[in-house]
Amino acid sequence: MHLFPKLILATLALTISGTAIAQSDDAEQLKIAALEALVSAPDEKALPIVSKVLAGDHSDEVKSRALFVLSQIDLPESQAILLDTARTAEGDLKHQAIRMIGIGGNPDALKGLAEIYSNGDANTKESVLHAYMISDDVDSVYALAASAVSDEEFESAVHTLGVMGATDRLRSLPDRPGASESIIHALAIAGDYEGLRAYAVDASNPERQLEAIHGLGIVGGEEVGPTLIEIYRGTDNNDVREAALHGLFVADHDTLVLELFRESTNSEEKADLLRILVMMDSDAAIEAIDAALAGGP
Amino acid sequence: MISEENLTLYYYDDGLTPAERNEFETALESDAVLAARYAALSRELQQWSEPEIVPAPSHLKQRWHDSIDQAAKSERASERRSHKPLHFMSFIWGVGLTAALALGIGVVVFLADDGTRDIPIDDMTVDAGADRAPGIPASFTRGLQVHLQDSQWELANLNNDTQVDRTSLLIQIIDQNRMFERSADQNNAPQVARLLRAFEPILLRLASNDIAPADAEALRSQLAFELNVMLTKIANDTSNKSHST
Repeated sequence: MHLFPKLILATLALTISGTAIAQSDDAEQLKIAALEALVSAPDEKALPIVSKVLAGDHSDEVKSRALFVLSQIDLPESQAILLDTARTAEGDLKHQAIRMIGIGGNPDALKGLAEIYSNGDANTKESVLHAYMISDDVDSVYALAASAVSDEEFESAVHTLGVMGATDRLRSLPDRPGASESIIHALAIAGDYEGLRAYAVDASNPERQLEAIHGLGIVGGEEVGPTLIEIYRGTDNNDVREAALHGLFVADHDTLVLELFRESTNSEEKADLLRILVMMDSDAAIEAIDAALAGGP
Repeated sequence: MISEENLTLYYYDDGLTPAERNEFETALESDAVLAARYAALSRELQQWSEPEIVPAPSHLKQRWHDSIDQAAKSERASERRSHKPLHFMSFIWGVGLTAALALGIGVVVFLADDGTRDIPIDDMTVDAGADRAPGIPASFTRGLQVHLQDSQWELANLNNDTQVDRTSLLIQIIDQNRMFERSADQNNAPQVARLLRAFEPILLRLASNDIAPADAEALRSQLAFELNVMLTKIANDTSNKSHST
């Protein structure tokens, strides 16, 4: 039972220490296979070997695989190495180390990412947000959104909250000038019907209202249709009506569009609604065309 | 197209509604390719069938429950985060199925890596048929393994498909990945959930049209490695569990 891991360890040790081995593809693949097998070894034995690979003269690909194995080692030292690599490495290795901290999910290592975020460039910041997303660390992403120093940072963090489905946090973000568009997009990504509805029926900020109506269309679902119909019927603002109609189109509520077609007494509006029905490739379009040709409702 | 996971659930008569089972039966009667796939899968799964489970004595059951409670408390203490609802919009469609899967992907094997090493494993087993925590069907572990193996195979053969097929295939993998990620969360297996979440950006990148062939190859290679490691880890942990009985 224990023979195989020992053999693997021996193979790995030989492979990584054999400077005479040419850096051919075969040697590279052997190293990667050895690293893969290392996951079968006890953590205490695997850790020094992986550390040696990371410190040695190996390709980024091999080191990147070593980082993944490191993320699977449940020892404090492994997390410290990951964090150190995330701080000091450059390029892809840095991003991989950050990702592996997310995969590892160690709370201390995740805390350490905050410093890397604040000192990092845009790509590093994005990697940190991904790591928080992987680890489902909503608190950290919320903190970054709430303390963002630029609109770009704010938008990225809010988008990540949306992807994470953190609707409560999105609704509780402190006021920020021009922030509503990002928040509405994130609410749409999170599928938060209630949050979007609140903005969509509020006509005090027309631009925000239009964004929210678009968002409702993206979210879709049965409850969205009646809300969009209510908005359509309840406004004189053509932009809002158009957005509601577009929302019905995106959410594929053809029967509701047909309902609007039937109740409309304005020929221009009826023509618009008919066009939408045709675009929806709906059976309801045939009914509407029949009615239009027959001169009926 | 009916996925391997759903065929597996059908085989184990688990996690599908009566309507879905009826739909499968109809499809199996009318679709020869599907019937052949199902027959092949059945043969494979029969090889894995377990010995008959002997009911455990009641005092041992009580000890299991105590062990599970202890593990749950330990996990909650180590995890400050609460489980979030749905992470992505498209999870919604899968909620019904994942609720069934919530009965347990047999990823209990990963719990040992999340601060639950003190669980008295020996107390949790009484015979060869009871080598896993009660309430977590082994079929779900196999479901996860099948998903990972399928993903691995499909990713290895991506180059043979057109861009449209590739994108469609990757979207299917992403959907199933999300389903299992959700199930892992519900089964208190955060490490598995994190790994599955980590795969998604790579899968999404591979599904995009604007990726250079060399970049795609590098991502496929990375994903193949990570899937292999995950499968090896599941196999090892399952094997260790069996040997501990």
